[in-house]
Amino acid sequence: MTCCEGCRVAITDLGERFLALAGHVIVGDFPFIQEHAAKKIFDITFIEGTPILPEQIEEIKDIRKRSKILIPIGTCATLGGIQEIKNYRGDKAECLRYVYKNVDQIANPDIKPISAYVPVDYELTGCPINKEELLKFTKKLLVGDTPKIPQRPVCYECQLKENECLLQGGLPCLGPIILAGCGAPCPSVKYPCDGCRGPLQKVGQNFDNLKKILQGHGYNQREIEMILERFGTKDQINNKFKTQNANVKTTT
Amino acid sequence: MKIRIDHIAKIEGHGGFVGEIIKGDVVQARFMVNEGARLLEGILRDRHYEETSQIAARICGVCPVVHTLTSIKALEAAMGVEVGSETIFLRQLLMLGQLINSHALHLFFFSLADFFGIKDDLKLIKKYPAYTKDALAIREFGNMLVEKIGGRTIHPLAAEIGGFKKWPSKQILLKIKKEAEKVLPGAIRLGKLFAKLKYPDLQTNFNWASVTALNEYAIYDGAILWAGPQNEKTLPAAEFMETIKEFQVPENPQTKRSHVEEKPYLVGAIARLNNNADQLNPQAKAILDKAEISLPSENPTHNILGQAVEIVHCLEEIAGLINRYKNTDPDLAKNSPWKPRAGRGYGAMEAPRGTLLYYYETKENGDIKNCNIITPTAQNIARLEEDLKIWLPKLAKNTPKKREALIKMLVRAYDPCLTCATH
Repeated sequence: MTCCEGCRVAITDLGERFLALAGHVIVGDFPFIQEHAAKKIFDITFIEGTPILPEQIEEIKDIRKRSKILIPIGTCATLGGIQEIKNYRGDKAECLRYVYKNVDQIANPDIKPISAYVPVDYELTGCPINKEELLKFTKKLLVGDTPKIPQRPVCYECQLKENECLLQGGLPCLGPIILAGCGAPCPSVKYPCDGCRGPLQKVGQNFDNLKKILQGHGYNQREIEMILERFGTKDQINNKFKTQNANVKTTT
Repeated sequence: MKIRIDHIAKIEGHGGFVGEIIKGDVVQARFMVNEGARLLEGILRDRHYEETSQIAARICGVCPVVHTLTSIKALEAAMGVEVGSETIFLRQLLMLGQLINSHALHLFFFSLADFFGIKDDLKLIKKYPAYTKDALAIREFGNMLVEKIGGRTIHPLAAEIGGFKKWPSKQILLKIKKEAEKVLPGAIRLGKLFAKLKYPDLQTNFNWASVTALNEYAIYDGAILWAGPQNEKTLPAAEFMETIKEFQVPENPQTKRSHVEEKPYLVGAIARLNNNADQLNPQAKAILDKAEISLPSENPTHNILGQAVEIVHCLEEIAGLINRYKNTDPDLAKNSPWKPRAGRGYGAMEAPRGTLLYYYETKENGDIKNCNIITPTAQNIARLEEDLKIWLPKLAKNTPKKREALIKMLVRAYDPCLTCATH
C-alpha cells in the first residue's frame, strides 16, 4: 500500500535475526528481497501503508482472501498515518490542486486504515513499528499463542528509562493516553510523544486530565488537536470518547 | 513490439515499466510508479514549524535522516537561523550514517543479485555468506550511528531547528569512531567486489547534478554543480531549485518528472563522483582506481560502483570528523537562539539517491505558508526513461526473459525510491 516503507525497512533491520526466522518459515512475498512471490496463499500476512490508488483498494480485498491471519503493521495501516492530515483539513481537493497542476486521474480518497476496508486479525502500530515487538509477536504466533500488546501508556516505558517528564516540564506530550510498546524513543531524546501508536483502548478520564494540563501550560484547543491529527489519532480518540461516554450513560 | 513489466521488485516502492518499439523506433518508454499521492506539500501547509520536519521525514523510511535535516535546513534559511559548528558536525555525522545504511541496503540486497542472475536474496545470502556478513555489519553500523545521535534509526528525532534536542556524549562519539574503524575492512572487501563486477555497456550522453564544495566531498552543504558533456554551471541551491521544471505525464500523473533547460539529468552517487571524485578519502579512491571506469562516467549502472566507493569514503570520513572534533565538549554544545518569523528559504543536501531540495515560506509565527519538495528520484525518472529509450533497441535481440532482467537491472541501478518520487 502507499506509505514510506519504513516498516519493511525495520523488518529488514532485524538483520541476522530476520534471516534466522526466515529459515524456519517460507517467506511468501517480500519484494524487498524477492523478485517474485514464492506463494499465493499465506498463513500470516503483514501489510503496511494505506490504500490510496483504486488498485490498492482492490488488492487489499484480494490479500484478505488469500491470508489466514492478516496483520496491518505501522501507523499508516492501523491509524491512517501522516497522509490522514488531509482528512482533518477538510479541503482534500484543494490539497490536491496545491500539489498538482493537472489533477485528472489522480486518486484522492479519504485516508482510512486497513481495518476500514477488510476485517483484520491483529494490529501492530507505530511509526515506524518497533521491530523487537514485531519479532516477539511473530514468534508467539508461530508457536500457536495469542499475542497481546499490553494496554499500558507510553509513560510506563518512559519512566522505566528514568526520563525526565516532558509533560511536567511544559511540553505537549501525549504519553499518558498513548499505547506503549515502542520503548519510548521519542521522550528519551526530549521529543514529546505525538501519538503515533494511537490511543489506549480506554483513555477515559486520562484524556480530560491531559487536556487540562496542556491548557494549563498555555496550549489552546487547536494546538492540541493539531498534535492529535499528526498520525491520525484524533478520530480514534473522538470515537473512543463517544463510545465511552455512551457506555457511561447506559450504565448510570 | 510491446514490453510490459507490471512489478519491479527490490526497489523502494511499487513500480513497473511500459515500453513499445515500432520498426526499431522506441515510441514509448515509461517507468510507471504505482504509489498513491500523499500530498505532502498540501498537508504541510499551516503546520507548526516544530513538527514540520518530522512529518516530512515520513516521505521515506529508507532516507528519513536526509528528509528531516534538509527540511530543518530550509526552515533555518527561511527564518534566518545560523547554527553552530557542533550542530553542523553532528548533522554531517548523521548524513554519513544515512548514506552508509541506505547504500548497504541497495547494493547488497537490491542490486547485487542482478549480476549473478539470482532472483531471491535468501539464495544470494547462502551463496555468499562472508559478503552477507559484511553487508549486514555495515548496515547495522549505519543504523547504530543514526540511532545514537538521532534517537531512532527510522525517523530520527533529535535534530531540530537551531541544533539538537539532545546532544550525544563524548563516549558515544568515540564508540561510533571505533565501530567505524571495525567495519571499514568489510566495506573495502565489498568495494573490491563491486569494482570487479562487469557493468553493462550503456554509455549515454547525459547531464548530471550534485552538491559541490571547495573543501570536502560535499554531502551536507554546498552549491549545485550541474554539468554535462557540453556545458556546466554552478548555482546556489535556491537558484538551482528555481531552475528545475517539474512536469506531469498523462500515463503516470501523480509522479512528477523534472527537467533543467528542457533536458533530463541524473543525480546520485555517479553524479557526485563525476563532480567531486578528487575529494574522496584515500581508501575509497583506491577502490575507484581498481575499477575499470573513467570519470566523468555517463553509464548510469556505474551508480552501483559509486555507492560502494562512497560507503568506504563515509566510513573513513567518520573517523576524520570525530578526530577533528575530539576536543569538543558536548556538554558545552548549545542550540542557536532564534525566533519564528516570516521568510523564504531553500535547503539542499545529498541524499543517498541524489540531491534533495526543500523550499519553505513561513508565516510570521513560523508556521508553513508554502512549500515544495523535489526528491532525487523525481529528478532521476525522466533520465531513467531516456536511458530506457536508448537501451530498448539494443536489447531487442535478447529473449524476452533476458530483456526483462536487463531492464530491471538498469532500473535498480538507479536505486529509485518511489515513495520519495510521489510523496
